[in-house]
Amino acid sequence: MTTQVVDGTAAGATARGRARGPRSRGRAGGFLSRHWYAWAMCAPVVIVTLVLIGYPLVRGVYLSLTDATEANMGRTIGMNTIPSTYEFVGLSNYTAIVTSGEFLSRLAWTITWTVVCVALHYGIGLGLALLLNRPLRLRSLYRMLLVLPWAVPAFVSAFIWRYLLNGEFGVVNAMLRAAGFGGLDWLDDPFWAKVSVIAVNVWLGVPFMMLALLGGLQAIPRELYEAAEVDGATPWQRFRHITLPGLRPVSSTVVLLGTIWTFNQFPVIYLVTRGGPGGSSEILVTYAYRQAFEGIRNYSGSAAWGVLILVLLVVMAVVYRRALRRQGEAW
Amino acid sequence: MRRGISVAAAAAALALAVSACGGEDTPQQSAAPAPSDPAAVSGEVTWWDTSDATNEGPVFKELKADFEAKYPKIKVNHVNVPFADAQNKFKTAAQSGSGAPDVLRADVGWVAEFASLGYLAPLDGTPALDQPEDFLPSPAGSGRYNDKTYGVPQVTDTLGLLYNKELLKKAGHDAPPKTFEELKTVAQDVKSKAGADGLALNVDAYFLLPFIYGEGGDLLDVTTKKITVASPQSVAGLKVVEDLIKSGAAAKPAIQDSYTNAETAFKEGKVAMIFNGPWSNTDNLGGKVFKDNPDNFGIAPVPAGSVKAGAPTGGHDYTVYAGSKNLDASYLFVRFMDSAESQAKIAGKLGLLPTRKSAYDMPEAQGNAMIGRWKEPMTAAVERPWIPEAGQLFQPLVEGYQKLATGGTTSDAMAQDVAKAYQGLLKGWSL
Amino acid sequence: MSTSDTVGTVGTAGTVDRAIPGGRRATGGRGPRSAGASLALHATLVVASLVAVFPVAWLVLTSLKPRDAWQSTTVRLFDDPSLANYAQVLGDTAFPRWLFNSLLVAALTTVLGVVLSATTGYAVSRFRFPGFRSIMWMLLVTQMFPVAILIVPIYNLLAGLGLINQFPGLVIAYLTSTVPFCAWMMKGYFDTVPVEIDEAGRVDGLTPFGTFWRLILPLSRPGLAVAAFYSFITAWAEVAYATAFMTGDDKYTLAVGIGQFVGQHKAEWGLLTASSVLIAVPAAAVFLLVQRHLVTGLTAGATKS
Repeated sequence: MTTQVVDGTAAGATARGRARGPRSRGRAGGFLSRHWYAWAMCAPVVIVTLVLIGYPLVRGVYLSLTDATEANMGRTIGMNTIPSTYEFVGLSNYTAIVTSGEFLSRLAWTITWTVVCVALHYGIGLGLALLLNRPLRLRSLYRMLLVLPWAVPAFVSAFIWRYLLNGEFGVVNAMLRAAGFGGLDWLDDPFWAKVSVIAVNVWLGVPFMMLALLGGLQAIPRELYEAAEVDGATPWQRFRHITLPGLRPVSSTVVLLGTIWTFNQFPVIYLVTRGGPGGSSEILVTYAYRQAFEGIRNYSGSAAWGVLILVLLVVMAVVYRRALRRQGEAW
Repeated sequence: MRRGISVAAAAAALALAVSACGGEDTPQQSAAPAPSDPAAVSGEVTWWDTSDATNEGPVFKELKADFEAKYPKIKVNHVNVPFADAQNKFKTAAQSGSGAPDVLRADVGWVAEFASLGYLAPLDGTPALDQPEDFLPSPAGSGRYNDKTYGVPQVTDTLGLLYNKELLKKAGHDAPPKTFEELKTVAQDVKSKAGADGLALNVDAYFLLPFIYGEGGDLLDVTTKKITVASPQSVAGLKVVEDLIKSGAAAKPAIQDSYTNAETAFKEGKVAMIFNGPWSNTDNLGGKVFKDNPDNFGIAPVPAGSVKAGAPTGGHDYTVYAGSKNLDASYLFVRFMDSAESQAKIAGKLGLLPTRKSAYDMPEAQGNAMIGRWKEPMTAAVERPWIPEAGQLFQPLVEGYQKLATGGTTSDAMAQDVAKAYQGLLKGWSL
Repeated sequence: MSTSDTVGTVGTAGTVDRAIPGGRRATGGRGPRSAGASLALHATLVVASLVAVFPVAWLVLTSLKPRDAWQSTTVRLFDDPSLANYAQVLGDTAFPRWLFNSLLVAALTTVLGVVLSATTGYAVSRFRFPGFRSIMWMLLVTQMFPVAILIVPIYNLLAGLGLINQFPGLVIAYLTSTVPFCAWMMKGYFDTVPVEIDEAGRVDGLTPFGTFWRLILPLSRPGLAVAAFYSFITAWAEVAYATAFMTGDDKYTLAVGIGQFVGQHKAEWGLLTASSVLIAVPAAAVFLLVQRHLVTGLTAGATKS
């Protein structure tokens, strides 16, 4: 059996990249028994997700079409009874958000933030993964050190960074001053505050990207490289034609999910700058949170924000999926 | 089928499943709490304590133990909830009817909001509201909403002007500034003569209020339902701040961690004056320039503007959750914790200001020198608008203040922006 | 196509550096790196490591300073170093209790999360079944709705199920955020495992589940390791759900517990940093545990089964 499998690997290795369309698999065993297995394997996840996320989601869509707040949703608590007085208001929550002056500027910054962060996450993560994938002295040590930012809880890291970046007694400015430069208002100037939150988020996110891609690199059969070297391919050609396509399944996932994740990256913004100074580093989620959860909670408004953010991301995912399809990936 | 099942379709399918179990509970009327004999009351009281768990928590734990000794049938479950989480955590739990505590130590600014949302039990006529005439009027006001009492004041505080006596002396001033003009002069003198910054501002809405109050302004006029943050008086207060920053009398303020940076500079003698409250006593006295020389630490009322000296009333109230299963035990617990004796004990050990007049005269409270020194600053305490929306007023103000402090806006423009934001928050209020 | 040189290396400690054997590559025709290239490689990694480590190192240094020394306008590396903060955290607070709670929650989340996401990931990687696309979309959409807005409805749901202030409730909530991510990720890794292996398994008479369990999983260890670490860290460091759902302090997890060191006006940075270091240690230990699986050659894994 061993030999069979290993042979299979070699065959699979050459077959990969072009002939691995889902259809070939689907056709191989398209009967009910097969579906039964697939459904059984997915069922627990589907059920839990539908209950815990699906219910709030559907309820959110409904609430977003009303004017429900914490003050007018009926409930009885002990001796107090609040009558239910909220009403259906159609799409007015959505129009109020979209036509508000803040929305477009927040959206623009959120997109910038997402694109820059994900690009840096991926670029730096891939670079480091490639370096770590080489035979190298001290590789385990490097890998350990580079993953460290991930091992520290994010909220602690955010606080530490705020401390490091403090304009007056922060270490970063102390080093800048020692080197003969002036200190910078890392967190107090709108522009530098944006640079700072991006830097912190990149610092936090690179280890995950690096590990995910390292895992992906490990999965690329070495025989492909060996064959390419025999054929005289240059390192760049090997990277371009073996590494990148081989990473694609993992890459497409981590980039897509990384984008969604960064778009909704609440803690970093909230903990590092609290959206300041003057609201300048506020992304859509933190802004929505403030709008809806400060003081008397605006359930309908928060739901409308949530749905809107979801729609934006769904559109992004659809576009992304189209682009992947054109390259032969599909799901 | 090319696109598979769309999100909308999945959502629609879900909607069917959900509509069966969703919907609101039908409103019900329920009976008022029945009075009972204190000694016979038994039960378990969960108390969310939002005080500083490291430095203040132990004293409250002692009091809780005293209570349990006095009422052996009642068990108190003391839970330390970090202040920053408490408001949201309580609201989330309270609205669901599950997981909320019986007693909550609430910031004075939360009570009206919680009460308006039906989360709190009215305390009038219950043991919890004990000798209400003994309370200082301003903190007691924070516990009332719609003519009912929903919270009894635990501690009170306000802002004062804290100063470094030696630095002021070096600059040629024996007394702390009493007006905004003097504040500017003294600060500039310190800067030119004493080799330190004169004043460190904390860019926070709460710390902006003394300037607005001083010129006769306020955020709102509750009686006439008017938004007054952009009134000429309020704007005059903002202009004082703008001038302090522009003239260099105040050091360039930090925006992030503004509070910590101002405190640090003050504790190290790098700045001569800050605005802060009694909660910072211990912190300040541990600072480099006060540790070995506590007499160097000066406390004065906030300087006055052209109208008066005024600083916001802060502090905390005890509140009881309306959905509590142990209302009677909770009332007794609140009564015990808020007695003059308990307050005096807290004052003596922690230096927090009592809300009962009688507590100030008790030996335990007088044993703490700080209590007496804050008496005068407390006279300048101004009641804040105790309205349900109070919690939302600070965010627009702090954003405006941040812009003002970095030179991104002017006092007039800032006041207009804040007023506009308030109009969105407060339905039916006029400008 | 050699099989002999990898047999037996899998699963032993120390595989890490042998699993990508330089020797094997070298035989493929690539000579050893030039000294300059080697230097550049190490220099890059050293700089990257420094950037990664510096804030953490500063955290450790701060934790060794006296309780209030962090708050100083002069920046010093050391300042009267002692373990006093650690002693106070471990001795005077409920830290051990929080640690136990966190370990329990994180372990449950990791085990359940990896099992659930691997099965789901495999199903969507290998089978084309009715509902496949909607599951992919569902897993994706789940990630898109902002958590901050989900807290109240999930709270009410858990309250209805009687799971407030209960560890299972928290674990389930965490699974909703880890599993979709991990399932997608696992699908990506399974996609890189040649489908011919499944076919070989089937030829040998294995059920689809048997193929998955005996052939595919061992080949996907790097992916499983990433998923496991991701699940663990997410559960380990999560604050928002834990703060809202754990209402009694005997059920606090570390992330909620150390919030107690932040008062209304003053944060106990000495205690906060010391506990952060203590929190990072188990996380690093878990990483050490899983990291040897990060590097498992494809053929090596196959030969094992």
